[in-house]
Amino acid sequence: MHIGVSITPFGHHPGAWREKTEDAIHFNALAAQVKKAEEGGLDFVFFTDQLGERPLNDLSPQAVPFEPTTLVAALATLVRKIGLIAAAATSQHEPYNLARRFASLDIISKGKAGWNVVVSPEAAARDLEYIDVINGLWDSWEDDAFAYDKASGRFFLPEKMHVLDHRGEYFSVRGPLNVNRSPQGKPVVSHVLTADTLEIAARSAELVFIDPSTADEAETLVLDLAQRLQRHGRSRSDVRVLANVIPFIGTTKADAKELHERLDALSFDGEKPSGLEITGTPAEIADVLEEWSRIVDGFTVLPPLVPESTDAFVDHVIPELRRRGLFRSAYEGGTLREHLGLSYPEHPAIAERRIS
Amino acid sequence: MSKAHMKLGAFLMAGGHHIAAWRHPDAVAEAGVDVDHFIDLTQMAEAGKFDMVFFEDAAAIRERNVNTASQAARSTMFEPLSLLAALAVNTSRIGLVATASTTYNEPYGLARTLASIDQLSGGRVGWNLVTSASELEAENFVSSGLRPHAQRYERAEEFEKAARAVWDSVDAGAYVVDGKTYADRAKLCPVDHHGAHFTVQGLLDSPRSPQGRPLMVQAGASDAGKNLAARTADVVFVAAQTLQEAQTYYADLKSRMPAFGRVPDDLKILPGVSPIVGRTESEARAKYDALQELIPDEVGVALLASYLSIKDLSQYPLEGPLPQMPDTDGIQSRQQLIIDLARRENLTIRQVARQFAGARGHWQLIGTPAQIVDELEERFHGKAADGFNVMGAYFPGALEDFIELVIPELRRRGLFRDEYEGRTLRENLGISIPARAA
Repeated sequence: MHIGVSITPFGHHPGAWREKTEDAIHFNALAAQVKKAEEGGLDFVFFTDQLGERPLNDLSPQAVPFEPTTLVAALATLVRKIGLIAAAATSQHEPYNLARRFASLDIISKGKAGWNVVVSPEAAARDLEYIDVINGLWDSWEDDAFAYDKASGRFFLPEKMHVLDHRGEYFSVRGPLNVNRSPQGKPVVSHVLTADTLEIAARSAELVFIDPSTADEAETLVLDLAQRLQRHGRSRSDVRVLANVIPFIGTTKADAKELHERLDALSFDGEKPSGLEITGTPAEIADVLEEWSRIVDGFTVLPPLVPESTDAFVDHVIPELRRRGLFRSAYEGGTLREHLGLSYPEHPAIAERRIS
Repeated sequence: MSKAHMKLGAFLMAGGHHIAAWRHPDAVAEAGVDVDHFIDLTQMAEAGKFDMVFFEDAAAIRERNVNTASQAARSTMFEPLSLLAALAVNTSRIGLVATASTTYNEPYGLARTLASIDQLSGGRVGWNLVTSASELEAENFVSSGLRPHAQRYERAEEFEKAARAVWDSVDAGAYVVDGKTYADRAKLCPVDHHGAHFTVQGLLDSPRSPQGRPLMVQAGASDAGKNLAARTADVVFVAAQTLQEAQTYYADLKSRMPAFGRVPDDLKILPGVSPIVGRTESEARAKYDALQELIPDEVGVALLASYLSIKDLSQYPLEGPLPQMPDTDGIQSRQQLIIDLARRENLTIRQVARQFAGARGHWQLIGTPAQIVDELEERFHGKAADGFNVMGAYFPGALEDFIELVIPELRRRGLFRDEYEGRTLRENLGISIPARAA
């Protein structure tokens, strides 16, 4: 199965920050969480972006106090294996700027970057065109476009550069992108699945996050997505579907319950994290994940309290999953695509040449 | 802060500043995809105690003609803000300055991104504000083409005010996190900006910068550009060939500051310089000649044509003289300089192209450390510069040479620091930390 962790300074439980200090918002504390996830051989870490609902009057303990793409660029130089997914909203970036930023992250991370698309529900047609422009810009260069031939003075091969020349309803973008193609071809594109994003995700997502509260709900979502994928000429195996889980882990069931209740009591207005809560020992957590792995390809862990919950997951749940043959014993590939078992995106020019 | 010490920037670029740098045997041709190369260069500049590294930017490929572009290393490069973030956590003292456009960004998003890198670096970030004058950039964003200069500067003026309001929206100590209180609301001042170009509301989503706000850098040469710089810039880069040109610019810009309630010392003017240094003059000259030999004729001639503001020079023989120039308003002083020199020294098109393409029109010095420092000192003491933005011809070689040969000579004459004065970029430049707007 595939497993990622969603990173926040204090944990996903709304009461978590009350047990912590300001140190948790600093880069080193966030980097330590990411290093721990890499120690566990996890597929990726995920940074959401609150920009859609920018803080108007107050600061939120759920927000990461860094802009996610720059945070990922910094982290990419300190961890060398784990995938790094940053959310960015289509409403907040010009497509050329966003394509550049993520192409650049993908090179800095040596092929481990992912873009989680934050869409604008009221502008679906614009978003579809936006994603086409991004993909087109990421295809500006063929894999072997750069010759770096000092003797002849040829930096790149002119015939392997592709000018997009996009003129659509919403965007006018000439191209080409002024950033090279990355070691994994293109960054991995992910979507958080909601009623608003089902269609756009079916068209463009390679990684999909779902947030079901029951297995039945998850099954229905996955079935719906599979049908939509088919309509877009894609198959279920082209996409990884991961369910959000919130694990309260204890040495004993009682310890786990105590943690859960303690955090609930700290939450000011009885607010609870959104997602599938699992409370129990590492073996009990692994039982639930194993059961769910019939339905989904893996999980995004939303640790309720950090670093404690992430540490417990990596130190105790991961070994249990490995014992059961459900999780890799070490990284097998070098890119995020390889971690997720996604195929390398062939450049359209190669496919065209093969056909003709 | 005494005037005794120069401020130095290391202007980094894929390959190097010489147009053919990437072809040099010791240059890293793959620099634009090698983050470790830029980490190494920045750490090297930090060991040399440079005030900052600097990255230029264009949100487009730089050359429309694909054949010419395909011979130039700067056709592709990291997006500078992500590169800066990567450098921030791999250095501890040196300033990090990147270029970003006010024409193709929005104030909240850019202010927030710069604030984020400022946090990552502990207060060492600078923003080189540009308005993006190229057609190729415009074509990546709008169908209506390049906006007129005046419109771009109007937008830039408002953009800077909105960005500043975003940076000022969270005061130091706003994050309390004591178990009871998360944020001190008294230290939050939500932006409520409504202007001709932007509506910006809300709060910055990170703590206030250790240096108050990111450092403001500009390279304004036009009247509107100089006024924006006089009002907002902490550092200005400028291209100036002659001492007199540099002095005129220096006096002009600093004289505009009092009108904006600022004192001239609050702004550091750093002209660009492209030094090629050798232990002997002939060694320096040999280094220069080796680079010049690497300039592909097509690249050199295309660049010369763009300096001369004429469409195409390639129809004329390379071994022949410059053609008769049409007498238009477009011909300015620097262009006249090129023409005069070519006529006076009876140079062929290839010779002129190589001479000007090499340093891309910037001030070039070729010589021994003492000769180079003589020239720098003359401008530094001659009210022409507060320091320099050093444009190494190729990397890492030219930066290594400058640190090994030129910096010790500067220090010997008491012109450059032995150790960083502070932790933030503003502290090292001797620029006061700005108070939050009331």
